[in-house]
Amino acid sequence: MVEAENVSMKYNRCAQYALEDVTFSIGRGEFVFIVGSSGAGKSTLLKLIIREIKPTAGVMKVFGKDISRLPRRRLPDLRRSIGMVFQDFRLIDDRTASENVAFALMVTGASRRDIRKRVPHVLGLVGLQEKTKERVCDLSGGEQQRVGLARALVNRPSIIIADEPTGNLDPGTALDIMNLLRSINLRGTTVLVATHNREIVDQFKKRVIYLDQGKLIGDERKGIYTHVR
Amino acid sequence: MFVSGLGYVISETFKGLYRNRWMCITSTGVVVVTLLMLGLFMLVSLNIGHITETVKEQVEIVVYIEDQADQEAVNELYKRLSEHSQVEEVTYVSSEEHMRRLQRQLGGMLEGYDSALDNPLLASYEIKTVVPESVVELAKEFETYPAVSTVFYGQGYVENLFAVTGVLQYVGLALMLGLAVTAIFLISHTIKLTVMMRRKEITIMKYVGASNWFIRWPFLMEGLLMGLVGAVVPLVIIYYLYQYSIEWVAGNNLYFLSLLPAEPVIRELAKYLVPLGTGLGVIGSTFSIGRFLRV
Repeated sequence: MVEAENVSMKYNRCAQYALEDVTFSIGRGEFVFIVGSSGAGKSTLLKLIIREIKPTAGVMKVFGKDISRLPRRRLPDLRRSIGMVFQDFRLIDDRTASENVAFALMVTGASRRDIRKRVPHVLGLVGLQEKTKERVCDLSGGEQQRVGLARALVNRPSIIIADEPTGNLDPGTALDIMNLLRSINLRGTTVLVATHNREIVDQFKKRVIYLDQGKLIGDERKGIYTHVR
Repeated sequence: MFVSGLGYVISETFKGLYRNRWMCITSTGVVVVTLLMLGLFMLVSLNIGHITETVKEQVEIVVYIEDQADQEAVNELYKRLSEHSQVEEVTYVSSEEHMRRLQRQLGGMLEGYDSALDNPLLASYEIKTVVPESVVELAKEFETYPAVSTVFYGQGYVENLFAVTGVLQYVGLALMLGLAVTAIFLISHTIKLTVMMRRKEITIMKYVGASNWFIRWPFLMEGLLMGLVGAVVPLVIIYYLYQYSIEWVAGNNLYFLSLLPAEPVIRELAKYLVPLGTGLGVIGSTFSIGRFLRV
């Protein structure tokens, strides 16, 4: 699903590489944590996967295709196949939970009937069936992240990418969100989570890719947060 | 039923305007005020131009015919003057007509004077030129024609008049250009600010896989509508203000202020303000949104 072949990324005006010679492969249906301290290159890696940026060197493949060569007009198709979840939720505050989710369907040209059917269903999946008409600014942090998850899910993506999805949440709510991600993964969706939440990584015992100062320093099946060299 | 492209654009345009109504009202207000200032200045400029043209049109050359010139020479002079490419109109004024005009001007002062017996005034040709500014050169040329006694065109006054109207035109043009540039700057920056306020929304659209045109269209339509309203409102204000001014000038017998009629002036202003407002709205939105689409 996602393959990085000797990928390096250096931002303009920065002396150091944000990512340096990173190689890994993630298969269909995997659940992968990408861990590392701030500045390790986690967010850069996720940005490369959704082609927000292009690698300075190396090849980044998603669904078997080198996405650096993807024409700009094909980017929407790529992004509709990848659901994104953010630490700061990135919801449109003055719209309801339903409107935020429906928005992701509208951009694909879905029919009104389809939108009316799928939005309540996906909000139900994340446990927000009672809050569909509430504006997101009136929801709690955990509920807002559920809306973010519902939005990421509504287009039935093959991959869910979550960048610090529990960063703004209390431990209990963070665990709820991670359980939701696990249940999504159990239905066959590949899930990539960038995090530095030690407790959750250790508790889930999933594959862990370790980054440190832009370098991949470890890749373990059923890993724990602290990488032992 | 599919969410049709046009239906989506129209519905999102009006939703966007409603959701961001205060920002849109502020932006449209800036467009209204800026274009109102520009429009008012254009109105004043157009009228100054009209008044100076009216004054210039009154400039004419008077060619006095020699007293001793025979009829053949006078006819020849008329032929040369009327066939001149720079001459628009030639009117013969007899010495008797000159005397009648003088008597009208002086009123009772010439009472009892028998002009039929002793009229010292010369007959003349009054000439309107195609281009008022050419009177000085043409007067010099006509002086050399046979059967011409003297040529008068308001020497001294005409040169000053043309100098003043020339300066007025240049100053007006420079000020108008300055104001137009200010309007372009202000409006495009205001539209930019409106788009910037919604950059989060645009970025989210990109992340969920919206195409650039899907995002762009509602913003372009919003820019277009803001620009259109921002141009039409000043035109309506200017129309009523100008109508009132015309009535006021007429009511106070200020006939020397020959103002242009309202409808053609407003049509002329609309030719500039509507494309400027809508164009800046659309272009401002397009450029402002461009940077957020590169996600």
